[in-house]
Amino acid sequence: MVGTITAFGYSVSLTAVLVVFALVIGIGLAVMFWLTVGLSVYRSVQETRRGRVRDNLQDRLLDGVFDPDADWGWVKELSRNERHVLESLLDEYLRELDGQNVEKLHELGAELGIPDRSKRELETGGEYERLYALTWLTLLRRPDRLDAADFAPRTPRERAAVARLRYENDDLEAPAEGIAILLEETTSQFTVFGQDTLYRIAIANPAALFSIGERRYRAWSDPLLTQVLVVCQHLGTNVTTEDLSWLVSALEHETDAVREAAAQALGNVGWRSDIRDDSFLDRALRDPSPRVRGAVYRMLARWGDSEAIRTLTGALQHESNPRTRLTGTNALVDSRDRLPDSAPETLENAWAWSSEHAEYDRLARRRHREVSD
Amino acid sequence: MHSVLHVLRQLFFGFGVFVIGFYFLINAYYICIHLLALLELREDVQESRWEPPFRAFSSPFYPGIGIIVPAYNEAATIIESVQSMLSLNYPEMELVVVNDGSTDETLDRLIENFDLEAIEAEIPIDVPTENVRGVYRSTTYEELLVVDKENGGKSDALNAGIWLTEMSLFCAVDSDTIIDRDALLQLVRPFLERPETAVASGGVIRVANACTIEDGIVQSVSLPKTGLAGLQVMEYLRAFYSGRLGLNRINGLILISGAFGLFRTDVVRDIGGYRHDTITEDFDIVVRLHRHLIDRGKEYTVDFVPEPVAWTEVPSTRRMLGRQRRRWYRGMVETVITNRKMLFNRKYGRVGTVVFPFFVAAEMFGPLIEGIGYIVLPLALYFDILNVQFFLIFFLLTTGFGVFLSWFGVFSEVWSFNRYDSPWQVLRLLWYGVLENFGYRQWKTVVAWNGLVEYLKGVDTWGAMERTGFKTDDE
Repeated sequence: MVGTITAFGYSVSLTAVLVVFALVIGIGLAVMFWLTVGLSVYRSVQETRRGRVRDNLQDRLLDGVFDPDADWGWVKELSRNERHVLESLLDEYLRELDGQNVEKLHELGAELGIPDRSKRELETGGEYERLYALTWLTLLRRPDRLDAADFAPRTPRERAAVARLRYENDDLEAPAEGIAILLEETTSQFTVFGQDTLYRIAIANPAALFSIGERRYRAWSDPLLTQVLVVCQHLGTNVTTEDLSWLVSALEHETDAVREAAAQALGNVGWRSDIRDDSFLDRALRDPSPRVRGAVYRMLARWGDSEAIRTLTGALQHESNPRTRLTGTNALVDSRDRLPDSAPETLENAWAWSSEHAEYDRLARRRHREVSD
Repeated sequence: MHSVLHVLRQLFFGFGVFVIGFYFLINAYYICIHLLALLELREDVQESRWEPPFRAFSSPFYPGIGIIVPAYNEAATIIESVQSMLSLNYPEMELVVVNDGSTDETLDRLIENFDLEAIEAEIPIDVPTENVRGVYRSTTYEELLVVDKENGGKSDALNAGIWLTEMSLFCAVDSDTIIDRDALLQLVRPFLERPETAVASGGVIRVANACTIEDGIVQSVSLPKTGLAGLQVMEYLRAFYSGRLGLNRINGLILISGAFGLFRTDVVRDIGGYRHDTITEDFDIVVRLHRHLIDRGKEYTVDFVPEPVAWTEVPSTRRMLGRQRRRWYRGMVETVITNRKMLFNRKYGRVGTVVFPFFVAAEMFGPLIEGIGYIVLPLALYFDILNVQFFLIFFLLTTGFGVFLSWFGVFSEVWSFNRYDSPWQVLRLLWYGVLENFGYRQWKTVVAWNGLVEYLKGVDTWGAMERTGFKTDDE
């Protein structure tokens, strides 16, 4: 059963080839075994050592936080292991506490040398070191270290972290500056952290976001455009920007997800007569995607005036997709006091179903409030 | 006699050459997948260790998720399961429990414990399942919806939930699955980052046997005491931290575990939901999603996210495990045959030309060929045509490589999330990686052959999973 392998004029027995492979695998196994066991032992010892000092350091940290006269001089004598544990505790409490106590934690961060270290990491570290550094500076409220560093954000995540740092520390001259950091030089999408940061900044001045959207939306990738439109959907109704035509244009986009998000975003600005153009509504209500039509129904329900409700009920009566029709009646339920009397009858089962579910939603919420109180 | 021996010798030689070629091809593929997994895991670990300075839970950008829990005769555990899922950390969630014609008190217990009341209105859409007898809403938990329907099997129950949820995403879970509190926040990440293309994402399933569970939370992680369950821990680590991560790297993930997967509701409705006539509905749905979306020229992603974890109890007896694995094998054959047009079809990109063919070769044919090998070997020895030296080297080689791949999975676990934090447990896992090659692996080839025979006979039963339940602190 044993053959030979011939190549380039040489013959080698198959057994010899297998022996070589077996040796390679044997070495691989030895390396993998010691690597795994060694790493496991290292992490276990590290965890044990950290666990031993954690309670004591936590007590000292809390004593320092609640004692106005306490100082943090003792941290200078800590070992590397203890400093690591203290930093993880500091991170945890900075995210949980607020008010005066946080000031003491900021002082502790400075005593541990975190702001200066973060500055160095911003200048010389890899992407994750830079993200850790920006996170520390945000938690410790030290935008000055960012200003002092020779650093410019390179990735969407870094841009989001920089914008967040400036936003959390009231270090933005205007929301437009933060929005520009996030959106001006990028075409690719955010993480949810970036999207949330954009929302927090833009909510103070939606006009800045709408303005950059109007200029740049064609350059954005579909995911980024969708994300920005979703942010627009949550901004509230105080949109004073003059030109919103890009939102209406996005409703003609080739991607369903973009059109859906555009319809949801337009739900905010129903009071603007300039966007309530009949031809645009006609096209939107005849969108081939049930998903988009559902979003348009929600948009009309959100506009909520009698004209929008009349358009919505009319459209629902001709809606061929039962699920999309249900989406529309669900959206319509909140506007029931503005419905013409005959509307619920023509919407048949979908109306009865949506209304009953809405009643249970209200009932459960009321009970939940009663229990909470 | 001489000519018969000659023919046998030629046959065995041909088989041997085929096995060696097959072995090298499959293992070269595995090595590539494992290396890709290492790169993917490195990025995922870095990503998961960075915690951005914001409160994810209060962000308004998380899409609604319908958690769909099929329940058949789960009266003993259903209340605890529902309570556990209601306490998951996720901003917008609907929990849809589908009572699939239980003959015990599953529905009564739900009605009593969660103050359920029947919806009087008719369902205004067609639900393509067995007859839905009633839909119930809770007067205390806004997010809870209970569907009572006639028995139609797990796929049918999942479909009822998919058709009745209002959420844009749904998460299919087994009622006895324990989901980590923040798991949904992580599992949804691909849908937030690629809102227009993400269609499915799957997390990691870990073995809950011997773990301590309190109030629906895994409090401490331990390796099971019995070898059979322990071997499965190692298998799960290898499958998730090596196989699926590597496939994720090339957008070739073709399996998301039925116990914990997140899908875009409208896309799954478009393909008709889960098929009723399959017993591995989780594998089938992902393959069909690939096929459907590629056929329509849609850009899409199916993602594996290694950090969110769901815990499940695995069979702890050989009889139960054999039954489960035969069912998996039957379902795999069925799904492969149904979707055979994807094989070597360039239209289906990497999935059709690389991932699916290698999956079929390794998972479907691999154990069958290995089983034939165990029959051929003694015959070859009997006819004195086996080169023992060659055989021993080849056996060591295959075993060594199998152990290497298993240890790779354990290493990935220690390097990344390190849930088995005691070195003794890690040593035991490594030992299981060796042990499985002596008896367990051979037994699995027998199970595969049995599964194939059952498939050919048209067996379509699920077989009941007898669960011993989770350990609590009190125990």
